[in-house]
Amino acid sequence: MIGNDIVDLALAKKESNWKRKGFLDKIFTQQEQLLITSAESPEVMVWNLWTRKEAAYKIYNRQTNIRMYFPLQLVCLYESETSGTVLCNGNIYHTKTKISEDNIYTIAVTEENYFSQIKEIKVDAKICKTNGIPYIIDDFSEIKKPVSISHHGSFWKGITL
Amino acid sequence: MNKEQTIEELKSIVKPYIANQEAFDTLTEETDFINDLKINSANLVDVILDIEEKYNIVIDNESMERMINVKAAMEIIDAKLSEKE
Repeated sequence: MIGNDIVDLALAKKESNWKRKGFLDKIFTQQEQLLITSAESPEVMVWNLWTRKEAAYKIYNRQTNIRMYFPLQLVCLYESETSGTVLCNGNIYHTKTKISEDNIYTIAVTEENYFSQIKEIKVDAKICKTNGIPYIIDDFSEIKKPVSISHHGSFWKGITL
Repeated sequence: MNKEQTIEELKSIVKPYIANQEAFDTLTEETDFINDLKINSANLVDVILDIEEKYNIVIDNESMERMINVKAAMEIIDAKLSEKE
């Protein structure tokens, strides 16, 4: 399974004040907060880790059908600016993150070899939903293919396997 | 505190973060913060912090996990307020 999440940095600056008292404590573990406070750009690190958690949560939600708001239970193991894993209640998700000047984008997968198989879908693709989970129908095989979509500010990303 | 009053107070708390005015105008206990009001998931933390400040309560992690709709928020506020008494 796959999940993705994008943050428009300009919009995030307007929408969220991550320096607000209590904000980091509600979302990030002590270790993650240490990564944030020691980062060259704490703000970029906030959204880097946040997109990892969100992308991983999208998979977790599909796997378990559990809908909860528990960012602290999505624990980031940070390998580098662009890669890591997220742990959630015994599940492991691998993440790859791309940092651009104006956005941060993370893809999470359950199996590492999926990274090379991921295809981007276009914004005008016909997306259907069953139980809130989006999919597309492959033109060729007519098989339902699950997709993950993320939209924030000026950015839209959709992926499928 | 009565339900109508809590709903009105909650509405004023979530108002700055909503992206779906129609769902906001017709808000009920069943209204979902993310799916219906389209509150950005990072802003849900702000809603939680605003609730903590407004009612002078602490929303622990277990309660926060359930904070996905108006009904859960009302139950949590009620429970935390009665703990204080």
